[in-house]
Amino acid sequence: MAELIGSLLVLAGAVFHLSAGLGILRMPDAYTRMQAGTKASTLGNTLVVGGIAFFHPDWTLKLLLVIYFVLMTNPISAHALARAAHRIRVPMTPQTTVDALRDAREQSRGGA
Amino acid sequence: MIRRAGIVLAVALFGLVFATLTVHHVERQSLPPLAKRYVELVPRELGAPNVITGILLTYRAFDTLGEVAVLFMVAAGVGLVLGRRERRTETSFRDAPQPSRQASEIVRTGAQILVPLIAIFAAYIITNGHLSAGGGFQGGAVVASSAILLLLADPRQRFDQQFLSSTESAAGVLFVLVGVAGLLFARGFLDNRVLPLGQFGTFFSAGAIPLLSVLLGAKVGCELSVIIDRFRV
Repeated sequence: MAELIGSLLVLAGAVFHLSAGLGILRMPDAYTRMQAGTKASTLGNTLVVGGIAFFHPDWTLKLLLVIYFVLMTNPISAHALARAAHRIRVPMTPQTTVDALRDAREQSRGGA
Repeated sequence: MIRRAGIVLAVALFGLVFATLTVHHVERQSLPPLAKRYVELVPRELGAPNVITGILLTYRAFDTLGEVAVLFMVAAGVGLVLGRRERRTETSFRDAPQPSRQASEIVRTGAQILVPLIAIFAAYIITNGHLSAGGGFQGGAVVASSAILLLLADPRQRFDQQFLSSTESAAGVLFVLVGVAGLLFARGFLDNRVLPLGQFGTFFSAGAIPLLSVLLGAKVGCELSVIIDRFRV
């Protein structure tokens, strides 16, 4: 039973990883690709590693550390990359109409 | 249209290459003679469960020393090529302290939390090289990754070059000294049996391998950090 649950979790994680890969292929610009890759792969990784914990209960603590580390690093690196891309003015897709970072920067410049 | 056909052709050719690779692949049921010999020898003679580290830090430790020497030359070469540029950036930082250059709060806070974690993990990898996957080179690379994170969080960070270079030199000298001790008290240069082998599979075991691993980790970590420091914007 535990192995079945673990297998299902790993499969669900693999599906999220697949959607991350599809997102990176199909999304129109750097920012949307970044968020597709980061969000889906963070969840996918958590599910896969959590599924492994069902197979090897004695690894649980180490696997929790792995999950914690990925939950910390993945969003931070995506955030840093997206900000760097925004700074060097990587173009956005025309469908994107809101640029909150630019608005906030202009507002703080206008206020100061 | 032609481009698309070319892509399809390329994918088909790649598929053919991988198919021929996998179709004729037969899973080995036994180790080749050389690997078998090492797998038997390393735990028995060196007392290290991790065969790879046993080979790298005893049988082929002289090669490892050469690799570290190559890395040292790379660090020196990068310093030679990029040394002048660094002085210029130093002045430009002083002339214009650009506030926009500062990393965002998320990156800075993340670095504060992650750098100690990464450092602990690096120490774990380095000191457990004789027991599980890892060792000096890998751990040193992890040390350097925490150096990158520090630089990302604060690009104006200054590393203590004096400390880095003296630690690196001391680690290198001690590594060679351990090797010479092996020449004098055991059966050859960098023989790990200068220290007692201890209980198989425990933390203090496998003779000089953990010591060599720590020295190697310190050396590689310092060298890579120096190289990264040279590449700052």
